[in-house]
Amino acid sequence: MNIQKTVEGKAVTLVPKGRIDTLTAPDFRQAVAESIEGMDALVIDCSELKYISSAGLRVLMSAHKSMLQKDGMKIVNVRPMILEVFEATGLDEVFDIE
Amino acid sequence: MRNKSVRDMRLWERQQFSLESKVFRQAVVGAALLGVIALLAAVSLNIVSFVRQEIRTSIGMARSTAALAEAEVDMAGMAKKVREAYDSLSEEMRQDRSSAAYRAQFSHVRYSQDYVILQRILSAAYSADEVDDIYIGYYDEKTHALVFIGVPEEDVSAGYFTGGWERVSRNEIHKFNHWDGEGALYHISRTKPYGFLCTSGVPIYDSEGNIACFALADVTFMDLIHGVRDYVVQYTIALYVVVCFVGFLTSFRMRKMTVEPINEIAEAAEKYARDRLNGISGTEHFSSLEIHTKDEVENLALVMSDMEEALSEYEEDLTRITAEKERISTELMLAKRIQANMLPSVFPAFPERGEFDIYASMDPAKEVGGDFYDFFLTDDDHLAMVIADVSGKGVPAALFMMASKIVISNYAMLGNSPKEVLRMANETICKSNREEMFVTVWMGILEISTGKVTAANAGHENPVLSDENGHFEMMKDKHGLVIGFMSGVRYKEYEFTMKPGSRLFLYTDGVPEATSAEEELFGNERMMAAVRAAAAVPLPAFLGKIRESVDAFVKDAPQFDDLTMMALEYRGQEIQGKGEAENEHSENG
Repeated sequence: MNIQKTVEGKAVTLVPKGRIDTLTAPDFRQAVAESIEGMDALVIDCSELKYISSAGLRVLMSAHKSMLQKDGMKIVNVRPMILEVFEATGLDEVFDIE
Repeated sequence: MRNKSVRDMRLWERQQFSLESKVFRQAVVGAALLGVIALLAAVSLNIVSFVRQEIRTSIGMARSTAALAEAEVDMAGMAKKVREAYDSLSEEMRQDRSSAAYRAQFSHVRYSQDYVILQRILSAAYSADEVDDIYIGYYDEKTHALVFIGVPEEDVSAGYFTGGWERVSRNEIHKFNHWDGEGALYHISRTKPYGFLCTSGVPIYDSEGNIACFALADVTFMDLIHGVRDYVVQYTIALYVVVCFVGFLTSFRMRKMTVEPINEIAEAAEKYARDRLNGISGTEHFSSLEIHTKDEVENLALVMSDMEEALSEYEEDLTRITAEKERISTELMLAKRIQANMLPSVFPAFPERGEFDIYASMDPAKEVGGDFYDFFLTDDDHLAMVIADVSGKGVPAALFMMASKIVISNYAMLGNSPKEVLRMANETICKSNREEMFVTVWMGILEISTGKVTAANAGHENPVLSDENGHFEMMKDKHGLVIGFMSGVRYKEYEFTMKPGSRLFLYTDGVPEATSAEEELFGNERMMAAVRAAAAVPLPAFLGKIRESVDAFVKDAPQFDDLTMMALEYRGQEIQGKGEAENEHSENG
């Protein structure tokens, strides 16, 4: 997995590519933790994300919680397959998905 | 010829190729070569100095003889007389030099008072034995002859007497008659009877300063040749002895310093390998070696000793790690059994209840898993069913799963509806969940008498339901948030009714996300196809049949997710009644 990162002011955008599963979730977790330090807003761009497992969801959930006190976490460009996962877990009701 | 390894060699071949014999051969060849070079140098130096010595001696002898003769005798006059007599003779007469007539031509010289004195001088010089011969003569260029004037002992047949002559080379004549007075005057010629012969001369001058004649001394090198021959023989014998000694000494040293230590190392290595095969560790085969050669061999022994020690330590570590791993593995096996024992695992689960039947299976990807299923009667008419999937894997997921299972079943046993059970379970779990784990749960309660199912879904996979004809469809039920994420979540409930003969199939994401070696997911379509293909299979084999389809898809690819399935078949009152009738019938029979 390869994560692309862009910073604009106090907002950081992450573009994870490929799969976030048990094996790659620790990298994703670290990337997120490092990226949100000192940032007010987090955007996860899912345009290149092919698959997300429960381990990946946990990272998103903890990121969501970390950003609650700030401007929040936004998830954009979600493919239908990934959206299904959010819907199935009820997270579509919690996350700010565009 | 193919190359033979030292292992394939016979003993004599090993000896032939051993380091010791190689060193012996090299030392012998080296010493012999050196000896031969030394011999050649010594012999040639010897010859040169011997020849020089001889020439010096002969010149010295000739010089003193010439001085003596000049002092005592009128040598120039005597020479003049011989010359005149010689020149006056015809060629024929000269050829007949041994005849009395020829000799008579010189008798006036031969029998003069001077000659007696000269002869005495020559005899004395001759008997001193420093030279092989000493005589007085002159070189006649016209006849290419050395004409004798005075000799110590006459030899008439050889022309060796006063007035006698012998043929000599032009070269010799020229060298003597035209000597410039520089250096030593000598000539080396090869003669038949004496081999190499060196004639040294000292000129005697007449009153006008012309050369009248020479005092000549001959030395042969017979002694020299014999001397050299003896020397070479003695030297060769000595050389042979020395070479053998050097060879043996070198190979002895080689054996002590190299061969034996190497053999000791090889022997230690063999013992070490044998001990390792027999499982003996902590040996000291290399470290106990006493090799102090202070060279590469000692270094080799030290390196081998270090290796032995390092391997021994490594083995100890390995043994300890293996033991530790075994302990963990045993504990995990126990944990797996405890986890399995937590789930209802006796099927048929309710043999006394003919209205429904339920089967379930769980295959964790690791020893312990995060999936679980559960079912239990909350009262006579209500069957609670739970299928859940904890995020993550292994021991943390298993611990979370145990807690979730207990919490859910406790709340369910209190008679709460599914949405209430999930809400309460979420509150309880959120309170103590610091690790951001979560669990997806589908829970349903079957009213056995009517077939009505009340269900709630906390982020779990869609259940699959069939009608009474075995036609399966995936339900698009309402999904609430997964349990454990945040408190205050409320779940929605929904209802559906199962007709007698219909089945409900529940599963975790391990089924649709089973992955083939090509990284392709099994997917909902293939899962639905597998479920439909198993529709006609009796319930006890239903899940096994679906599992076969999954296995056929993934083949040998390793699976990273737990695979859990549960299936309920509702039979209802009618069938139960029929079953009771059958029972009665069989009892009657």
